[in-house]
Amino acid sequence: MRLLLDLRHISDHTERRLLATQADVHGIWGVVVTGPSGAETVEASAIATATDHLTIVVDIDGSTAHPTTIAEEVAVLDQISQRRTMVIIRGQRKTRRAIATLLSGLPVGGVILSPPPAQASIPVRSPEDIPQIDPPEDAAQLAELINQYRDANEQFLIVVWNRSIKELARHAVGRAGSPDFPQMVADMADQIDPIA
Amino acid sequence: MDIGVGLWCLQSTATNPRSFTRAYQELPEDARLAEENGIHSLWLSEHHGYYDGYCPALMPAASTALAATETLQIGTGVLLLPLHEPQRVANAANHLNDQFSGRFHLGVGMGYRPVEFEMKDLHMNQRLKLMNSGLDVVTATTPTPTWVGVSSEKAAERAGRRGLGLFISGAFSKEVVNKLIEAHRSAWERSGSSETNPPPVGLLRNLWIVDTDEQRHQAFQWVRSSYLVYAGLGWGADNTGVDFVSEIETSMNEVEKSATVGSADQIAEDLSGYDVDLVVCRIGYDQPPRAALTEVIERIGRELVPLTQEFGVKR
Repeated sequence: MRLLLDLRHISDHTERRLLATQADVHGIWGVVVTGPSGAETVEASAIATATDHLTIVVDIDGSTAHPTTIAEEVAVLDQISQRRTMVIIRGQRKTRRAIATLLSGLPVGGVILSPPPAQASIPVRSPEDIPQIDPPEDAAQLAELINQYRDANEQFLIVVWNRSIKELARHAVGRAGSPDFPQMVADMADQIDPIA
Repeated sequence: MDIGVGLWCLQSTATNPRSFTRAYQELPEDARLAEENGIHSLWLSEHHGYYDGYCPALMPAASTALAATETLQIGTGVLLLPLHEPQRVANAANHLNDQFSGRFHLGVGMGYRPVEFEMKDLHMNQRLKLMNSGLDVVTATTPTPTWVGVSSEKAAERAGRRGLGLFISGAFSKEVVNKLIEAHRSAWERSGSSETNPPPVGLLRNLWIVDTDEQRHQAFQWVRSSYLVYAGLGWGADNTGVDFVSEIETSMNEVEKSATVGSADQIAEDLSGYDVDLVVCRIGYDQPPRAALTEVIERIGRELVPLTQEFGVKR
C-alpha cells in the first residue's frame, strides 16, 4: 500500500511547497493537491517543479470543464512531472471514463490528446476509490490503522498529517508497504535520531 | 521598451522531432536563462490536437516556468479563450499571480482552426461571441494584466474599447502593425476611459542576432521554415498580406521581409521605430540547435536589452 500525503487542506502555498519537498526527500510515495477550478494542474505543476520523485495526485472536479480540456491539462502536467502524475476525477462516471480513455492515449469521439501523456496511461481514480485517514497522535493507533488498510489490500491511502513528515515516513511508510515492519527499529531510530 | 522572448510551443515537429518530456524540461531551463540575462518575460503559445503536440494547456506550463524563476514575467501569447471555460482561466490566472508575486500575464486570442472548436463540441462561428463573453468574465474576476492577440483592425478596436493590452503577431509588416496600434489607441481614446495611460501594446517580432552573412542566411531559413507549422495549422489573416492557406511562398516572403536579422545595434534601430511597450523576440523556432537558442537568449539579454531601454512608450 502506498501513502499519499494530503495537501488539499493546507491554505498557504509556501507551506504546501515545503511539505511536498520534505515528502519528496523522505520517500513518501505521493501528495494529493487541488486548487480552485482550473488551477488544480497549476498547483500540481508548481509542486512537480519543486520535487523530483513524488507522485502528484491532482484532485479535479470533472464537471467544471470539457473532458478534453481537463485531459489536456493533466497530460501536460504528466510531461512536466516526467511521468509522476495521477488524477482523482470527481463527478459523473461517464466523464471520468472519457478522461481516463484520453489519458490512456486512446481517442474519444475522434479526439486524441497531443501531446499524449508521458506515461503509457495516467491512473484515474474516483474519490471513493481511495480511503483517507486523519490519524490520532497515538503511535499504536496509527500502526493499527495502517495495518487495517494494508491488510484490506488497499492500493493507496490518503493521510492527513499535521506533524513531522519524517515521523510519517519513519513510522508509516514501511508499515504500509510490508506486514513484517519491525516497529522496534523505528522506535530505536527515534532514540538515535530524535524527530524535532 | 521591455524585451521578452517567445514563443515556447513545446512541439515535436516533423522538421525537428524530439522528446516531449525533454521539451517540457527545457522550458524551466530556458526561463532561468532568460531571467539570468535580464530579459523581461517569456511567452507561451497554444493549439489543440495538432500532430506535433503544440501545447494545449498553457496554465500548467506557465506554472513550471514561474516556479523555476524569481523575477521573470511569464505570459500566454496567446491562450485561445473561446476554447476554455473563462472562469477556470481567471481562477488559474489568479492562482498564478497569488503564488508568484504577480508575474503572470494573460494573453488571449480567438483561435482559427475549426477542428479545435469541434474538439470541445463547439463551432468556430461561435468564436466571437465566446471571446466577448469570455473577456467579460476574465476582466470582471481577475486583475491579471490581459492582452488580446489580434489580426484585424476591428479586433484591435475591440481590445482598445475594453482598455485591454494588444498583442500583435510577428508575421505583420510595420505598416500593418502601425494600423493595428492606431485602431487600438483611437478606440481606447473614444471609450472615455478614466485611466491616465492607454493600455499597453506588445509586439511579436521574428529576429535573431548574428555576426556574419552565413549566420544571417541560416537565421532567415529558420524563420521561414518555422512558418511551415502555421501553414500546416492553416493560419491566414485578412488584409495583412499573410495567408498561409492559399499563398504559402508569398506569405513566407512577407514574413522574411518583416523579420529582423542582424547585429544587436541593427535590431535595436529597427525596434526604435515602434511605439510599443513590449517587444517579444520570436526565437522559439523548431529548427535551431539548442546551443544556438541559448546563445541568442544570452545575446538578447546582454546586447539588445540595454540598447532598447529608452525606446517605445514612455510611461
